Amino acid sequence: MTPPPLGRRGLFGAGAAMAALPDAIAAQPAPQEHPAMTHTLRINGRAHPVALDPRVTLLDALREHLALTGAKKGCDQGQCGACTVLLDGRRVLACLTLAAAAEGHEITTIEGLAGPDGALHPMQQAFLDHDAYQCGYCTPGQIMSAIGCVQEGHAESPEDIREYMSGNLCRCAAYPNIVAAIEAAKPQMQKA
Amino acid sequence: MPEGMIGQGIGASPVRVDGRAKVTGAAHYASDMAVPNPAWAFLVTSAIARGRVTAIDETEARRVPGVLDILHHGNMRGEVQEAGFFAGGGYAGSSLRPLEDDRVHHDGEIVAVVLAESYETAREAAYRLQVRYAEEQPSAGFDTEGAEARDAKDAVQGHEDAEVGDADAAFAAAPVKIEAAYETPTQHHNPIELFTTTASWENGRLTILEGSQYVHGLRNGVAKQLGLDPSLVRVESPFIGGAFGSRGSLTQRTALIAVAARRLNRPVKLVATRDQGFTIATYRAETRQRVKLAANPDGTLVAFVHEGTEVSSRPDPYKVAGTQTTARMYACPNIRTKVTILHADRNTPGFMRSPPEVPYMFGLESAMDELAHALGMDPIELRRVNDSTHESVKGLPWTSRGLMRCFDAGAEAFGWKDRTPQPRSMRDGDWLVGYGCASTIYPTHLGAATARVTLTPDGRARVQTAAHEIGTGTYTVVAQAAAEGLGLPLEKVLVEMGSSELPPSPVSGGSNVTASVCAVVMKACEEIRARIAAAAGQGPLQGRDPATLRLAEGSLRAPDGAAEPLTEAMARASNGAIEVYAENIPHGLPEGALKSLYQGKPALGAGLEGKDRVMAAFGAEFVEVRVHSRTAETRVARILGAFAAGRIVNPRTARSQLMGGLIWGIGSALHEATEMDRKRARYVNDNIAEYLIPVNADVPKLDVLVLEEEDKATPLGIKGLGELGNVGTNAAIANAVFHATGKRIRTLPIRIESLL
Repeated sequence: MTPPPLGRRGLFGAGAAMAALPDAIAAQPAPQEHPAMTHTLRINGRAHPVALDPRVTLLDALREHLALTGAKKGCDQGQCGACTVLLDGRRVLACLTLAAAAEGHEITTIEGLAGPDGALHPMQQAFLDHDAYQCGYCTPGQIMSAIGCVQEGHAESPEDIREYMSGNLCRCAAYPNIVAAIEAAKPQMQKA
Repeated sequence: MPEGMIGQGIGASPVRVDGRAKVTGAAHYASDMAVPNPAWAFLVTSAIARGRVTAIDETEARRVPGVLDILHHGNMRGEVQEAGFFAGGGYAGSSLRPLEDDRVHHDGEIVAVVLAESYETAREAAYRLQVRYAEEQPSAGFDTEGAEARDAKDAVQGHEDAEVGDADAAFAAAPVKIEAAYETPTQHHNPIELFTTTASWENGRLTILEGSQYVHGLRNGVAKQLGLDPSLVRVESPFIGGAFGSRGSLTQRTALIAVAARRLNRPVKLVATRDQGFTIATYRAETRQRVKLAANPDGTLVAFVHEGTEVSSRPDPYKVAGTQTTARMYACPNIRTKVTILHADRNTPGFMRSPPEVPYMFGLESAMDELAHALGMDPIELRRVNDSTHESVKGLPWTSRGLMRCFDAGAEAFGWKDRTPQPRSMRDGDWLVGYGCASTIYPTHLGAATARVTLTPDGRARVQTAAHEIGTGTYTVVAQAAAEGLGLPLEKVLVEMGSSELPPSPVSGGSNVTASVCAVVMKACEEIRARIAAAAGQGPLQGRDPATLRLAEGSLRAPDGAAEPLTEAMARASNGAIEVYAENIPHGLPEGALKSLYQGKPALGAGLEGKDRVMAAFGAEFVEVRVHSRTAETRVARILGAFAAGRIVNPRTARSQLMGGLIWGIGSALHEATEMDRKRARYVNDNIAEYLIPVNADVPKLDVLVLEEEDKATPLGIKGLGELGNVGTNAAIANAVFHATGKRIRTLPIRIESLL
């Protein structure tokens, strides 16, 4: 097993990474209980009280504890963007955000975009119209990121969109269609 | 109703029928599907590539609150039997049995599975598990000691090298010739969906939720491993988050998770990490090739020699063998090919998008460009003088071959005439500009398939077939086939796929599914039509020959314009629904193909393996690169592909497939390589920040031209195109780099350091 990179996982138990190395006899702190802490997460306009191990990421809280599986796990280390959600309107990587740290913020996921009548958000509609997906796995993250991209003012030109959407990998490589979808959705979003 | 159905049959471009699910988060991939109270698995993988596990100390791991069990070779009880290597008639991507004994065969092999109450707990305990090894010096393959080379004709069942005329003598005597060596790297599919498995048992029945390109293969393979009747294993895979070949064969993890779930008597869920994905599934084998190519001064080829060596694992002779394609590409009287397998301490490679063609067409299409330069000839014209209606190894006819039409249409659209032939002759400020082109080909593989189509009294259709949606648009094209066959609007067709409970479809590999599955769905629809037509005698279509009646626009229609609404016409044929199960064996496949399909064996045929003809899709790809004169930064400025791939079922999804393929080609040329520590035979860039794949900013202006082509060799004339776009692209880019810089780069990927 390759040791995990430093960063978030370092929080989960100092020295844990060392144990993976052959013959590492690192002095490890003893394993400990991680009693669940109760948080109230505001997601798509609704409050969700949830009891979580403090190590749980926002992504795993959504997917494994709240049955909101639209945000996807593609790398769990902030490299692919499939887990992108909006936190107070800003795009963030849910895999690099601890659930506890999301308390007190307004979280928007792909499930919260369509209207109560099922009417699609202009960005969702544009992705449909432009075939801006293939397998669909990165798509929720692409759409959330695209909305953030437009709201940030980073969708002023195709070059701009390409640059500011490059944190969302699409292995099927629907990129040109994603750019076209964002260009089409932008005026619709501004109208709405 | 007629209005609703315009443009929804074969050849139309409807929005994907599963599109709404994909843009709302409602599409459920394997790890999205909930199971009650799952335990979590976390894999521990080997830190050495060769040797033995000498001890596994569970003490620290077991102290983590919430740990339930730890599986390793010391406590397995023979629960997992061999599934066999797929190329040897089995099911698995590797013949290794998971956790069989203390041997370590490759970097990142599964050595333990930690099970716990939560993901966080399982992960912590996995990091605390102490695994000790006795390490032996591994061989990584090329450039290392200890690898074992074997001729593919001895190592691989059914492999034949080509030998036509006397290629070496003809080469020696030829007036114009080039000889060169090419290298292609290890590459990993890296679909964005991780490798996940959820297993649960109920009354001795096993349910597996796993992204799969072959649910019937997975079912039968796991059943064999666990000693179960296949009917007791159910696989659900309704949506797959990218596959590209990585989910075609059984991997080691599935049976282990099933065993864990049986031991714990509760569902077990595994979401393997990105880095583990580099070693627990397959990858594209690295190759080293030698090409000798010779021609007369007019460009006609006189000799072609293509030799390739490919890295595989110790136990399994996985073959790439793209020489089967390159030997057939152009007219040439003297051909010799040879493939050698290099067995090393690696995991077994496997299929990755256009497995034989991506590495080997890089060799051939680079060599063609080198030869054109040596001849002082336009590279398109060199391909024209060697175009052929027949392949060159056995002399079989191509069912259709649109290669030069693609070159002509592509050259026109791209502006090839603006290219000045001399290398380094085009410039834009500090940027050296180069134009390059290459041919692409992908064989039209076909498989036996089955489907059940049910027409209900309300005039709706349900299509059931165990095909897979890996991003290619299968739900949509299958719905279009049924809409066409039954004359229904698309919204009245429901397609169910991705379950082993459905009639089997072939592996979603080799770009065969659209052709194979649409054929059997159309066959079922035709039988429904025939039954309804045969019962039309008493109604408004009285007196018409049933054979002339067709289903269109929601009616049963006669050639003279008389019609009866479908619901009324079908009520004459049935008191309830009409359900038809159909089977299809395409031309050239053996009678046993259906039996193999039901056994979950990946049996595809046709393509270049026909006894009386060969069938493939063709294309021509054009690239403009810009190489910075001082920094050697290399960018694709624009890329265009022109393709002829038979009848296009859905131009919208076809374009997306070809576009994605072209971008894969950019990755192959400029980005992708799995780097190895060759001394330790371990991967070093096993994540998708350091394993570079194209991002949005890497993709410039991109154009796809799809030419009309009628191929009458099969009833529907469909040729697969999902793997056509990314063949030859790497060579087109390397050829453009040569044109820009005068430097011929024969090792992929081309990076700044290649040009300094």
